[in-house]
Amino acid sequence: MRLLKRATEKPRRRRAAVGPLMAGVAALGLVAACAGGDDSRAGPGAMTDAEREAQVQALFDAGVYFCPMDLDVRSSEPGFCPRCRMALVMGLPEPVDYTMDVTVTPELLEPGGTARLDFVVRDPWEDRPVTDFEIMHERPFHLFVMSQDLGHFAHVHPTRDSETENFHIDLDLPRAGLYQVLADFYPVGGTPQLIARSFIVPGGRLEPAAVGVDYTAPRQGENLQVELVTEPAEPIAGQETELYFTVTPGEGLEPYIGAWGHMLAVSDDLIDTVHGHPFIADGGPEMLFHLTFPRPRNYRVWVQFQRDGVVNTVHFDIPAKELTF
Amino acid sequence: MTTACIRTGLGAAILAGAAVAAEAHDALTTSVNWSRTVSRIVYERCASCHRDGGTAFSLTTYAEARPWAVAIREEIFARTMPPWGAVKGFGEFRNDRAMYPSQINLMVSWIEGGAPEGDPEDLPEPPEYPEENAPAAETVRVVRNGATLESPVVIDGLFPRDVPDGGSYQIVAELPDGRVEPLVWLYEYRNEYGHAFLLEKPLELPAGTVFRGIPAESSLDLIPPPSEPGVRD
Repeated sequence: MRLLKRATEKPRRRRAAVGPLMAGVAALGLVAACAGGDDSRAGPGAMTDAEREAQVQALFDAGVYFCPMDLDVRSSEPGFCPRCRMALVMGLPEPVDYTMDVTVTPELLEPGGTARLDFVVRDPWEDRPVTDFEIMHERPFHLFVMSQDLGHFAHVHPTRDSETENFHIDLDLPRAGLYQVLADFYPVGGTPQLIARSFIVPGGRLEPAAVGVDYTAPRQGENLQVELVTEPAEPIAGQETELYFTVTPGEGLEPYIGAWGHMLAVSDDLIDTVHGHPFIADGGPEMLFHLTFPRPRNYRVWVQFQRDGVVNTVHFDIPAKELTF
Repeated sequence: MTTACIRTGLGAAILAGAAVAAEAHDALTTSVNWSRTVSRIVYERCASCHRDGGTAFSLTTYAEARPWAVAIREEIFARTMPPWGAVKGFGEFRNDRAMYPSQINLMVSWIEGGAPEGDPEDLPEPPEYPEENAPAAETVRVVRNGATLESPVVIDGLFPRDVPDGGSYQIVAELPDGRVEPLVWLYEYRNEYGHAFLLEKPLELPAGTVFRGIPAESSLDLIPPPSEPGVRD
């Protein structure tokens, strides 16, 4: 597989480059394409809006399985999402929003210290504590931790208290200032949740991170190097960007907690957080992620890849431009 | 693990061998439709203002909302609508009107999938909207940036006043013991849509608490719980 188009090459139709793998995905009964893309358009006079809508609705009503997290992955048969390995569910899940209480101790936090976070998830119907969670990427509860200056990042997994069945974790606090935690879990009977909370370690300044704009140079991880090419070369806010990562050496790659890669993009003001996994990956050195930067700001994008048992975490700082005419 | 919380690909799927033809219109490639799903989100998050008799043009019917679909998407991405004016996760509010990521996903999926109407039989009952009243001035304590509490207070909500449009302000309470309590992170807060932020749980602030992050020309109303007598400084 060769997904990556070198920066020196003139951009062309990217979808042609991923065609062979897409065909393989289609063979599994799963096809994902981009709405509004050129491929989905035909000549004039085909159908009315109502006829098109009826046809699409009939297809979905006939029994379509969805990935509850990657909603664009669908199948006519039960199975697992090729992107995140979640079990597919029948029908488009209606979103259900849970609440989450977070208790941070000690009350007075110190830079260089630790904090214990206790999480209580509550259902939206009776406000009862939730203790049954689906396993997502080999864990029932994922937590991303970012400092406001974006100099500290962690992807960790709280553990369950044997008595209360609630989750908790001890976090290192290497610096003063604002921390944001992003909890990622999937209650049984609900839909996947992504809930943000903040706490402050006294002594720091509350101000946006100074995120650079250089994403052309390769980044060195623990035991591999990561190169990024985006299309378009200058991402536009609100429009989909394709991120092509190439890792070197390309041998010895392993799934890390259920995926060939993990990505978290955070805006320099900590307001936008976007989480995803490879749109296309097969264990080779090249992986494609899709990402829409919501606003025209600078973003820090962390990616994680595992090679020979070692988790590599690197980041790229990417500016998203405003669409202008 | 949850995929991108805001991503254009969400409404992108089509079944193999069943690509839907389109000509001068958007391709309909989503099962998210107005009647069953989007109308409920609009009723919950938008229609308190965007309705007949509201403060903005109505979006309560498919015919009214469909022409605005692309603009709605842009406003959602820019976080200018709904005009909640604060960042989720920095303080917790029981009247939070900002869209959840799941609602944003569905709205984007609907818009990028061609914004289908669905079956009008699936429409929910239109909600009723009680008028929200600002707290009476005599019930609140008003503070400015750097103000220090001379006596303890229990607050049930916050009402920012005279905030410059379009800014980003992290307002915190510095407690005498050194703790820093996040109060509200104003973002794209506009006075024309000014409103109270009602806390999920009442917050006790001791004497000596200092307020930081309030814009110089602005003030913050500290709204007491209904049973708490208020004092105006």
